[in-house]
Amino acid sequence: MSQATAVREEVRREIGRRAVMETGAGDPAWLRARRDEAWNIYEATPLPSTRSEEWRYTDVARLLPLDELEPAAGGPAHAAALPEELRLAMAQDRESAGRIVDVDGRVVSVELDEALAARGVVLASLREAARAGVPQVEALLATEAVPAADGKFAALNAALWSDGVFLYVPRGVRIDRTIRLSRWVSRPGTATFTRILIVAEEHSQLSFVDEILSPDFPAVTLVNTAVELFSRGGAQVQYVSLQRMGEGGFYLANQRTLAERDSTLDTLNVALGGSVGRVDLNARLLGPGANSDMLGLYFGDANQHFDFNTSQDHVAPHAHSDLLYKGALDGAARGIFRGIIRVHEGAQGTDAYQTNRNLILSDTAIATSLPNLEIEADDVRCSHGATVGQLDAEALFYLMSRGLRREQAERLVVLGFLGEVLSKLPLGGVVEKVTQAIEAKLRYV
Amino acid sequence: MDDSPILTVTGLEAGVADEDLDILKGVDLAIRPGEIHAIMGPNGSGKSTLAKVIAGHPEYEATDGSAEFNGEDLLEMEPDERAQAGVFMAFQYPVEIPGVSIANFMRTALQSRLEDGEELDLFDFQELLMERMELLDMDVSFAQRPVNDGFSGGEKKRNEILQMAVLKPSLAVMDETDSGLDIDALKIVAHGVNTLRQENPEMSVLLITHYQRILNHIVPDRVHVMMNGKIVESGGPEIALELEAQGYEEYRKAHAA
Repeated sequence: MSQATAVREEVRREIGRRAVMETGAGDPAWLRARRDEAWNIYEATPLPSTRSEEWRYTDVARLLPLDELEPAAGGPAHAAALPEELRLAMAQDRESAGRIVDVDGRVVSVELDEALAARGVVLASLREAARAGVPQVEALLATEAVPAADGKFAALNAALWSDGVFLYVPRGVRIDRTIRLSRWVSRPGTATFTRILIVAEEHSQLSFVDEILSPDFPAVTLVNTAVELFSRGGAQVQYVSLQRMGEGGFYLANQRTLAERDSTLDTLNVALGGSVGRVDLNARLLGPGANSDMLGLYFGDANQHFDFNTSQDHVAPHAHSDLLYKGALDGAARGIFRGIIRVHEGAQGTDAYQTNRNLILSDTAIATSLPNLEIEADDVRCSHGATVGQLDAEALFYLMSRGLRREQAERLVVLGFLGEVLSKLPLGGVVEKVTQAIEAKLRYV
Repeated sequence: MDDSPILTVTGLEAGVADEDLDILKGVDLAIRPGEIHAIMGPNGSGKSTLAKVIAGHPEYEATDGSAEFNGEDLLEMEPDERAQAGVFMAFQYPVEIPGVSIANFMRTALQSRLEDGEELDLFDFQELLMERMELLDMDVSFAQRPVNDGFSGGEKKRNEILQMAVLKPSLAVMDETDSGLDIDALKIVAHGVNTLRQENPEMSVLLITHYQRILNHIVPDRVHVMMNGKIVESGGPEIALELEAQGYEEYRKAHAA
């Protein structure tokens, strides 16, 4: 390293450390310490390279100019000034039990059904909850689920997160309507670091929809999200991510679900927008009778690049997980699915399934599917399967023979193909919204 | 009444696209409005190929001759254009379209018949669909099922008949709709066709079949026997009975290529 490079490197580190301090100003001591430690891990961890199996198809060194990005979290926005696109998306949502709005990495409004608040449900800005000394936040934030030690981006997020969501549902409280997070990112060339921490106590129930939108950007704009989901014994949790960013958006998410005894922790990742989307999802089944349905839907066109890296960790015996990821790829889009089922020693009676199906709509789109199994117990039922196929000519002829134009026939087949995923998690408003978003996208294909 | 044929096939030769072998070796056929024609023939005679060429299956290609539908060159039309002009083919093997409900399929099919910018009235559509299902004694929940996905053979054929009832074609081509059906399913299909014919006596039917038995339920005006890519005999319904009694062997001997 030349002296000039060394100096530049020193300056870069200094700027980074200062950003950590500025972000953490006003934080309690435990959190500042956690941020500092995370920053140290970030500094000590090399950027993932395509030489590693998990990042083989997503070259972050080339795609993400990490050092050029500015932290997005600026001054508080005003709810009345919410952009049209976000307001439209919010208006589409049916009755919800609560809503939190986040603009450029800062929570700008929180609403929660008063009856639920009275029963002890907490829906809050994560930053405020941390500063208010909520014990669950100190205990669970970046510790068990997505700790800084998880990797370069987990560390970066733990050091620099500006805000996010804390949702707590007490024992036995069942929320039948969804709780919504509506996110908007406005500034090109920025990096937004958000965390979501959800704790569902025993026998509680909740469903949470995390939707992110943005305009098209002239420069790479990073949104990094750490999602930590805890379902205690017998709880039922559904988490849905709707990624609908504009061009230039680089969406990077670390999601971890921890399902305890007899609880259900289902996830749905929908990727429609952005230029690059990378989701690392780790589902941990920690108690007998735990269940995780893991659903994914992606539809890429132009040069969109979606990379899903999933793992189903069966730590406890007699748990169940079922993954179904389906993607349609047009233009020169790229889809990567890499999934592993890990059955740990002693996890007898495991039921674990994994399916990835891809529909290729053009000559230049590419799907890569890498399912995997790692089994260290002998009494298990596991299966994995992957398919990459094209539109079925016979199906298109069948539809056209009823009068549908070719593009109408293709649209119907794609919607049907992807719709299977939505039909497995029929949350109010989500199916319609995603279907409409896919239809809108198909119109331009 | 205009008595000119709705479908005129003249010297039609056709085969599988990209293959040199003709399956149809000069077929002549004229169907007038309201007529029911049956084409019978052994396996491999080309009768199913004829149906597919009329519907515009991309795997088949006409190499000579012509096919006109209401005076228009059918062979130049895309499958969707043929459908919009009034051709309907009931498939021998209806295709499964997972995730797409029959109702959604039919709504899109009717929408495709409208001018650009014109929207199908959803209320009118629901009413039409209900009325059509009632006409065919079908349970209303049927239309909510994904197209042919997990259907029994009989259900698939019923679905074809329902689509025909919704789209109201002027020419219905039944491509071995009766094969693999038990007698009850066969009666349902026949009842559907007859009901639609009662409703619209101008609807023409081209019934392609291996067996005589469906002709007990749908009575044809004309019966054609197809052998080795050609129609070798045409006549009234009595031909079907003769065939049933003699078998195709007699014909094969008489018309060996």
